[in-house]
Amino acid sequence: MTEVIIKNGFVFDPINGVKGENMDISIKNGKIVQKVTHNAKVIDATGLTVMPGGVDIHTHIAGGEVNTGRMIRPEDHVKDTVSKTAMTRSGTGYSIPSTFVTGYRYSQMGYTTVMNPSMAPLEAKHTHEELNDIPLVDKATYPLVGDWWFVLEYLRKGDLEECARHVAWMMDITKGYAIKIVNPGGLESWGFGRNVHSIDDQVPNFCITPREIMVGLAKVNEMLNLPHSIHLHTNNLGLPGNYSTTLETMKALEKVPYNGKPVAHITHLQFSSFGGDGWGNFKSAAEEISSYINAHNHLTFDMGQIIFTDTTTMTADGPFEFTLYQLSGHKWVNSDVETETSGGIIPFQYKKNNAVNATQWSIGLELALLIKDPWKMMMTTDHPNAGPFFSYPRILAWLTSKNARMATLKNCNKKAQKKSLLPSIDREITLYELAIMTRAAQAKALGLKHKGHLGVGADADVAIFNINPETTDIARKYKTARKAFKNAAYTIKDGQIVVKDGEVVGHADGRTMWLNVKTAEPCRIDEEMKSKFHQYWTVDYDNYPVSDHYVKVKDPITIKASV
Amino acid sequence: MSIIKSVTCPICGCLCDDIELTVEKNEVVKVRNGCAICESKFIGYKGHHRVKTPLMRKDGKLVPVSMDEAVHATAEILANANYPILYGWSSTSSEAQRVGVELTEEVGGIMDNTAVVCHGPSILGVQEVGIPTCTLGQIRHRADLIIYWGCDPWSAHPRHLERYTSFTEGRFENSEWKAFMQKLKAQAGQKKLESAARIEIGSTHPKPQTCTVPGMPQSMNKSGRKLIVVDVRKTMSAEMADYFIQVQPNKDYELMQALRVLVNDGELDVDSVAGVPVEYLKDVADALVNCEFGVIFFGMGLTQTAGKFRNIEIAIQLVRDLNSRTKFTIMPMRGHFNVTGANVVSAWQSGYPYGVDFSLGYPRYNPGETTCMDVLLREENDASLVIASDPGANFPKKAVENMIKHPLIVIDPHMNATSMLADIVFPSAFVGIEVEGTAYRMDHVPLPLKKVVEPPKGVLSDEEILTKILEEVKVIKSSSKKSTKKVEA
Amino acid sequence: MIVLSPLRKFTYPITAECINPDVFQGKEISEIAKLPVFEGNKPKTLSDLFKVEKDNLDTPTITINGDVSEVRRIGIGMKKGEIIINGNVGMHLGEKMMGEKITVNGNASQWAGCSMKKGTIEIHGNAGDYLASPYRGSTDGMKGGKIVVDGDVGADSGCYLQGGLIKIKGNNTGQFLGFHMSKGTIHVEKNASTRLGANMTGGKIIVSGTLEELMPSFTIDTVKAKVKVDETESAAGPFYVFLGDLAEKGTGKIFASKANNPQLKSYEKYL
Repeated sequence: MTEVIIKNGFVFDPINGVKGENMDISIKNGKIVQKVTHNAKVIDATGLTVMPGGVDIHTHIAGGEVNTGRMIRPEDHVKDTVSKTAMTRSGTGYSIPSTFVTGYRYSQMGYTTVMNPSMAPLEAKHTHEELNDIPLVDKATYPLVGDWWFVLEYLRKGDLEECARHVAWMMDITKGYAIKIVNPGGLESWGFGRNVHSIDDQVPNFCITPREIMVGLAKVNEMLNLPHSIHLHTNNLGLPGNYSTTLETMKALEKVPYNGKPVAHITHLQFSSFGGDGWGNFKSAAEEISSYINAHNHLTFDMGQIIFTDTTTMTADGPFEFTLYQLSGHKWVNSDVETETSGGIIPFQYKKNNAVNATQWSIGLELALLIKDPWKMMMTTDHPNAGPFFSYPRILAWLTSKNARMATLKNCNKKAQKKSLLPSIDREITLYELAIMTRAAQAKALGLKHKGHLGVGADADVAIFNINPETTDIARKYKTARKAFKNAAYTIKDGQIVVKDGEVVGHADGRTMWLNVKTAEPCRIDEEMKSKFHQYWTVDYDNYPVSDHYVKVKDPITIKASV
Repeated sequence: MSIIKSVTCPICGCLCDDIELTVEKNEVVKVRNGCAICESKFIGYKGHHRVKTPLMRKDGKLVPVSMDEAVHATAEILANANYPILYGWSSTSSEAQRVGVELTEEVGGIMDNTAVVCHGPSILGVQEVGIPTCTLGQIRHRADLIIYWGCDPWSAHPRHLERYTSFTEGRFENSEWKAFMQKLKAQAGQKKLESAARIEIGSTHPKPQTCTVPGMPQSMNKSGRKLIVVDVRKTMSAEMADYFIQVQPNKDYELMQALRVLVNDGELDVDSVAGVPVEYLKDVADALVNCEFGVIFFGMGLTQTAGKFRNIEIAIQLVRDLNSRTKFTIMPMRGHFNVTGANVVSAWQSGYPYGVDFSLGYPRYNPGETTCMDVLLREENDASLVIASDPGANFPKKAVENMIKHPLIVIDPHMNATSMLADIVFPSAFVGIEVEGTAYRMDHVPLPLKKVVEPPKGVLSDEEILTKILEEVKVIKSSSKKSTKKVEA
Repeated sequence: MIVLSPLRKFTYPITAECINPDVFQGKEISEIAKLPVFEGNKPKTLSDLFKVEKDNLDTPTITINGDVSEVRRIGIGMKKGEIIINGNVGMHLGEKMMGEKITVNGNASQWAGCSMKKGTIEIHGNAGDYLASPYRGSTDGMKGGKIVVDGDVGADSGCYLQGGLIKIKGNNTGQFLGFHMSKGTIHVEKNASTRLGANMTGGKIIVSGTLEELMPSFTIDTVKAKVKVDETESAAGPFYVFLGDLAEKGTGKIFASKANNPQLKSYEKYL
């Protein structure tokens, strides 16, 4: 019967249309309620900004690939150590923090829900074991489905319904939340060291194209009524001139029946918005891409914003990671997973004086500022690919303050400075729009009904920041704003204060969410299917699913499919 | 009687999960699909070395004590130690390993696992250059060139070839089993002729095997999977190979560097490297470059010979170089069934895979400085907890001597060499037989371990024992903090 | 100058980053005595472990009298001043050093001079493994400065060397000396072990004594009468000059004394 009342803050709750009004937020038993008794614990939020807890739609924080990244970078950890305290476990950062540190740092910034965007189904148990060790935040994970042999085969046959049943089954047994597609067709091709170079290339040995995979799975997603759309990392990511592939991809997805809910989410868009045709004449295609986005409503996006630092790239896009290895010569991990996906990891430094990196930095911001509707474009770094997640406050400063952007731009490579559109863009994202891009839009795109807002019935996940919107002009005082976003005044998780003044003061395990998708007919798991399973994988069918044992705090969501 | 299918075998890094057990009256009576080592464990684990109750050394002898007494004594030792070591971890579940990290952090000690005497160098090599690798199924489906370098799967990972490499059916490559059987028949015939020839001449001594290095045989031109074994002597695995390359001991580094030069179209100023003529090496380089999908599996022949982690580093660099020409991967043949898990769990909780030193309040890692072998040889530790391993049997003598100069606690199902030297012994249940859990295969794929029989009465799991010790340590530490405060006041 | 004398033999590792002229600078002796150190996992102060005295020389010098082979991280990142150790010293001595001098009248343990940038380290005894080499996974090798070792050095020393000079006067080096170096000079006055300069891409290694074995990935370039060690010194040859490491398409040079390496005569046919 715990009651809390957050009094007198400036509340930003875009899903419920609240734009900085002075109001109280009442919490009872971990949920937002209409009102509470006078016994409620009082949090005085006078002069402070109150938002729903942050929601991160795409951050690589758990699983086989992330952990291999940790293992190969002791020199990265040694510069960022975290000591044990009475309240917290020890750990390390920098670009790939250990699990406890991941939870603490997210919470310290006011985040309460994080989504791990990439999970090889075969390694799902590992992902869940790690998610269990990320405290203070609720979490979920997206299984990689785009190059899964069953999916390729059913889509090639045109059997969308059986494909949908398989995907539903797989979502349930891996305890996943959304359909993740990376460089569709490219990952299977990489099994023999090849790649696809356009959305109409044939995938070797499977007679299917990336276009067919994406559109097919988008339709499957609709049939299954999954809360999020397909989550897509485009073909040709990271290559100069790839914006044309991105445009083709977005156009291809216009074919998917659209009923008001986006049919796809294109992730870390910055990496897919490159112009030019080589590294020498590399440039931004943010204008072309944002033009299209402003005219179409069937897609959502997240930024993948570059931070100038030494970070680690890790994606399921094995061929792309190999390209980075050939460019940089850094230590390189390749990690292909049978029947399912590929993967790669490589440390990478983004430097201000590097023309390409500086342009990349500009591209992310250009996209966010040129796309008019903040509900379409969410703030991420594709952690850790474009930068570690605890750099988010820097991005918030760049988004909300032209001065902040110019201060960084003027130290960048001269060529990049000349090409950048940022000097001509005056838009400064407001605090309200920021609340959209960092929590409301993310929760909405994910279909998380109880997150990202402070309406009655929502989970009592709240972030309170030391910013008085009436007296602080965050566009001018961007350093103050940055500091405020780095260390929340309060982070409240399920009604409990877990962070105060940027310090962890409470404990919460956080829940793992996944989808229990109910199709009219279940997926056909007969002896023939099991024997095929046995041929495709090197593990027995019985040992493949993730049992309940692997999830510490369970939060399954039942979905009724239309198939 | 019951039949349990899809059991994961808790022995080696293969983690075969297709074992079928027949269980009668709480005993495993039959094992199907397992290799000889698997069968001997499931049938023979209940030997007379089984420890049934906690033991403590009193007046020089190990005598039975209650769990509470053993837990309390252990907690006192660890909580008060200045530099304790918590070592082993490779034959237990990831669930137990997690408690181990927390316990080590709580007592400010070093958590180290058996990688330190095994594939630790592999991890060090990977930390220098990364690793192009994959899961075992990719090998099964795609590999047409399989190389075992410095390892002998026939002896140490008996089902590796039939489940994952040469003798398995893949989507894109077939099993070479038939061709191998035919080769065996031909070889058996040849041996009979040779043996007959010796008897005729009247000699009773077989001719000594001379170390001749043959060139690449014709069989390497066949279609289908090809098997190369590189080793210092002709092992049983080498007998199976299409091409056996005998490398001079401790010269693998030079051989691999020479191959790198050749694979990158360079020339060498020497005629032979590591005992192998350069003209043969050129054929090998061609074979490497011209395959569709190659893989190198490696073992102690590289990790524990001169060069150690640099041997792994160079092997990985060779594979990296090959990726510019074709598809190539590399994988360590992990020994214990969950040593990979010990590295994986340690890494996600602390950032580091083994040799993690918590003495300063945060994780630190530096093999040579924070690894337990080195700490023991320098006699820096003052207490040890050993679990799921047997350093008493396989550590250098000086390290063991130094270990037993200080309190030693052992958690193990059996009375092994280490338990016999211990001050406190906890009996534990066998993971994967008597208690369920999770283990990580050599390619990092997590697999569930089943409980198929009940453990002996009163015998707890590693996870339960460690949890008890951890709780007690926390109580001791918080009461000592309170009493320090009192004293200060 | 501050004089530290260990109060007893240390059995547990001592982590003492505070023993650093930059840290002592401007502090009273009472403050210095209270500086934090760790003995194993127990936090202590400097005076718990050392007698801390000040003599009347007003120099930023620290002298340590006694065996400090368990004391680690002395002089990390130091910029100014001098440390003189009269005894054996522990790991990570002068790591990331940026200036002035450390002298060891005894042996130094592993990772001495790790990733140093400037300054001088003189070790009159032997040095352990990883002399001047960077931390695990890092390519941040020594960038400048000078290290002189009168005795032997251990394995994997001078890895990723990017500048400066390492002089080894003892009878033996360990394997992999100069691994993956790209610039800078290593002078081995006597004998060098196997895998010398493996993966090197630039810089030079001079072996005035015997080279145990040359990597097969080096090719003979020329013969030279002498070679410059640094501005003050040259080494007298004649030397076989080898170029490599070919596996890295490197242009590093190994100078091996012709007189002391008759086994390398077979390379002459390629000249």
